[in-house]
Amino acid sequence: MLQVQEKFKVSERIARLKEKVLCAKPSVCTERANFYTEVYQQHSSKPVIVKRALALEKTLNEMSIFIDDGELIVGNHSSQLRAAPIFPEYAVEWIIKELDEFDKRPGDAFFLTNRHKRDLREICNWWEGKTLIEKGYALMSDSVKEIHEAGIIRAEGNLTSGDAHIAVNFDKILQIGLEGYLIEIKEQRDILELSDDKNLKKEQFYKSLEIGLKAFQSFIRRFERLAAEMSNSIEDPVRKEELMIIASNCSHISQYSPTGFYQALQLVYFVQLILQIESNGHSVSLGRMDQYLYKFYREDMVLGNVTPEFAMELLENTWIKLLSINKIRSWSHTRYSAGGPLYQNVTIGGQTSDGRDAVNELSYLILQSVGNMKLTQPNLSVRFHKNMSDRFLQACIKVIEKGFGMPAFNNDEIVIPSLIDLGVEKEDAFNYSAIGCIEIAVPGKWGYRCTGMSFLNFMRVLLAAMNNGKDTMSGNTFFEGSGDFTEFRNFEDLMQAWRQQVIEYTKATIEIDTAIDTALEEYAQDILCSAFVDNCIQRGKTIKEGGSKYDFVSGLQVGIANLGNSLAAIKKLVFDEGRISKEELMRNLQSNFEEEGGEKIRQMLLNFAPKYGNDDDEVDHLLVEAYMDYINELKNHHTTRFGRGPIGCKYYPGTSSISANVPSGSVVPATPDGRKAGTPLAEGCSPTSGTDLLGPTAVFKSVSKLPTNKILGGVLLNQKLSPLAIKNDPDKEKLAMMIRTFFAELKGWHVQYNIVSREQLLAAKATPEKYRDLVVRVAGYSAFFTTLSPDAQDDIISRTEHSI
Amino acid sequence: MLNIFNIQRFSTHDGEGIRTNVFFKGCPLNCPWCSNPESRSYKSDLLYDKRLCQQFGECVKASNGELHFEKDLLIINRELITDIERLRDICPAKALTIAGKRKTIDYIIEKIEKDLSFYSQSNGGVTLTGGEPFAQDWNLLDLVHELKAKEIDISVETSLYVPWERIEPYAGLIDCWLADLKHVDSDKFRKFTGGSAELVMSNFRRLNALNAHVIVRIPVIPGFNHTLPEMKQIIDFAATLSSVNEVNFIPYHALGEGKYKLMGLDYKYKNSSKPPPGEMEDIIEYTKSKKLQYKIGG
Repeated sequence: MLQVQEKFKVSERIARLKEKVLCAKPSVCTERANFYTEVYQQHSSKPVIVKRALALEKTLNEMSIFIDDGELIVGNHSSQLRAAPIFPEYAVEWIIKELDEFDKRPGDAFFLTNRHKRDLREICNWWEGKTLIEKGYALMSDSVKEIHEAGIIRAEGNLTSGDAHIAVNFDKILQIGLEGYLIEIKEQRDILELSDDKNLKKEQFYKSLEIGLKAFQSFIRRFERLAAEMSNSIEDPVRKEELMIIASNCSHISQYSPTGFYQALQLVYFVQLILQIESNGHSVSLGRMDQYLYKFYREDMVLGNVTPEFAMELLENTWIKLLSINKIRSWSHTRYSAGGPLYQNVTIGGQTSDGRDAVNELSYLILQSVGNMKLTQPNLSVRFHKNMSDRFLQACIKVIEKGFGMPAFNNDEIVIPSLIDLGVEKEDAFNYSAIGCIEIAVPGKWGYRCTGMSFLNFMRVLLAAMNNGKDTMSGNTFFEGSGDFTEFRNFEDLMQAWRQQVIEYTKATIEIDTAIDTALEEYAQDILCSAFVDNCIQRGKTIKEGGSKYDFVSGLQVGIANLGNSLAAIKKLVFDEGRISKEELMRNLQSNFEEEGGEKIRQMLLNFAPKYGNDDDEVDHLLVEAYMDYINELKNHHTTRFGRGPIGCKYYPGTSSISANVPSGSVVPATPDGRKAGTPLAEGCSPTSGTDLLGPTAVFKSVSKLPTNKILGGVLLNQKLSPLAIKNDPDKEKLAMMIRTFFAELKGWHVQYNIVSREQLLAAKATPEKYRDLVVRVAGYSAFFTTLSPDAQDDIISRTEHSI
Repeated sequence: MLNIFNIQRFSTHDGEGIRTNVFFKGCPLNCPWCSNPESRSYKSDLLYDKRLCQQFGECVKASNGELHFEKDLLIINRELITDIERLRDICPAKALTIAGKRKTIDYIIEKIEKDLSFYSQSNGGVTLTGGEPFAQDWNLLDLVHELKAKEIDISVETSLYVPWERIEPYAGLIDCWLADLKHVDSDKFRKFTGGSAELVMSNFRRLNALNAHVIVRIPVIPGFNHTLPEMKQIIDFAATLSSVNEVNFIPYHALGEGKYKLMGLDYKYKNSSKPPPGEMEDIIEYTKSKKLQYKIGG
């Protein structure tokens, strides 16, 4: 039944390339920063968008390029493997501040030479006062700035880098080729009436698009020339031939739509690469790769141009190339994104637009090739639907068994109807893909950040509600409250106070998002990314100006389980049973349970009150009620694109908060769920570590009580299983049945599995060098365990291990 | 009311599909390798985990002097405890817990129904286990009738070491019998478990006569029944039962050891030798030769 899964061995070439990328020490590359700085300096009077096009052009024309030994898929991100380019236009302050600390980070370290440091200092000095982050902050009111500084809302990552969280229209790119886009642009530009004042900006946009696309073409032709030169000077006849093919592939796809699977894959990779040279936003995703590439694969198979073995090798090479792309973030942002991956998502499976099972041979090849590589990139998502075959589901479980957290599952049965409810056309809704780790969008038609707007720390909000609006960490009262907890007459008073505070903080997140979006729109336009998203060219608008067909975004709410557990503990132990007095609770939250008898109070909060994740309506329904207060307020707000073209321009909630639960927890005092100050919050929509005591079905039931049809920014659920739990085929079948029930019956949204033993985790912590290959899933994505900070590692280790 | 000590969801090795195990308290046998020591007594058991104890002293306060601290050590005079209920749910750290509580049928059904959707997708259901379910009073029959009325698949895991009269009423109601066949040698059976192999075998024959769906479960216990000649005898018996076409070998494990400690008991079976390599393979070969299907681990 699963022979397909066992047939292909990893070739010696791929093994070598993989080893090389895994061994490459992360560093930084200053080339892009130099080119961008030079162009911004030389062309200071030009519109920002044109400056950016020229800077991209210079970078693509002049950056170092190379083709590694044995590579079949070419294209490099920077001057060295795994060297992160610098994007000074977004932010430099953190670079200046952290430059000497990059190599000392407890996780995600980067190694710099002294020359790099000197160059960077010089570049950064020029940018000071001109960067996006400064412009963004300047647009915020003093009060939201203070809330941001206090850490209740976090949006730093949105100002230190580009947007992304997007998949472009690969279908169309493969269909019309790069030349096709130039023709489209020319057609639009030709009919543009420049006497109409509205069209001046459009003209600048089109001009920039042309510069950008032509630069992209010449970048690909640089690889054509390089491959041809290398082919001429190499002895080995096999490699000589390979390089000739690479050259001719590049020559062709620099202009035309690809012929054949190999060319198509190479073009897809080039697009993916170029988007991440243009901008450093992460979660640039590849969409439904098994769908848009299948036509090419099928034709090549029929014609005998490609064998499954060769297709596998090409795919594996592509995954290695995805991993070679690197990004450096500020340390504070790195902690929200532990493990450092770029969340380049590949989605497979799901349904066709007429509701048939979309799985094909290529879906299996992609699944197996990702399983063979066991890398942190791409993030592989499988779209589940109720007619998915057992064969494919078992093939997925075989890959899950390898223990690197992939594939993750999204569920068509909930996502598609929810999208249609939002106003997404049926055909588009059936074509959704995962973006980044678990969030979703319609590839090529959706704007940035279907998730990834600002983070709201729910527990800080709850504590403010209990302290008459005062944020005890900063000492500020950002929003006047309705009294101290000790004055509340009943539980409803507390819910009322929560409601009032969360509404105000929700508005503050929107204010922050609006300021950031406005700054990004004016100062950090993406040119190529806009070209490849419908309908930017027709509208003559960047995505940020309202060019995309759809525009829905989500922020991230952190501390979901903690919120429910805290409310349930207060309700039961303080108001219903009176076992803990209001004063006792407040004193202990302030003292971090360190006063006399504090630990007893804490244990009561932990053990005598129901916990989310155990299928207990009492706590699950309280959580829903409190979360709905946020969701209802969110409905009142729009994005900056409202009325400018896209369908939607609305917010929805999201919990795909990656590893943000660790740093978010570090700035939260003790909470009424018995959590101690500074310790991690619960991740995503998963239960709090170690509190789900009734096994995975109970967790599924609890999660499915959430308003999952509204949380389109992702209902993140990680479950950990010991390797023994799915060793045998019957156990694998039971896991499949459980997943089917969760999705088909309970309308679950997402799940992914960590198959890993506690011993492995502990061993990896002690001797990381021996476990470089060991991958663990942290909140929605896969990261190399050994590069996670000790805090994040502890969080994983303490998570309850379900044993089937 | 029925005396249970756990309702365990997502049980995957006790019958078909995804199941909820209801563990009944009390067992007429006394197998020294038992992995559920808290299942054996018909009375509630007190479990104390020193690692969790923070010496809040709530238990000492609630007791009638049967518990006290000597420095940081909690001394429990178990034999003096007359009213164990006073100690239930008293420890904030859950260092002290009570195994066993009488629960209503409604309560048990409500818990079982929580995973209905998982049963229907997987052909799962409920597994009555323990302890010895048939050692419960007749309320068990009410529970089974009610489950039947709700069309929930019922498996039962039993030692069959109870009078036939306690089993017979269930014969038409249980969908699958996971029945233990620990040994066929009377002396050995009695010596190790305190029970009678004859009664067990007789109940097997009677179930067989009623054509019940029976899967024979053989715990493979080193030092008790693991040798090839003994296993052959056990399998031979299973092969005489026409309604049996599957046997499950349940490998010995010591996962229960920790619970003995919590109950203040010594786990006496831990130093048992492992079966020699290749022996299990021979046993499986023999099972196959008897035209029986087999599973390891249930």
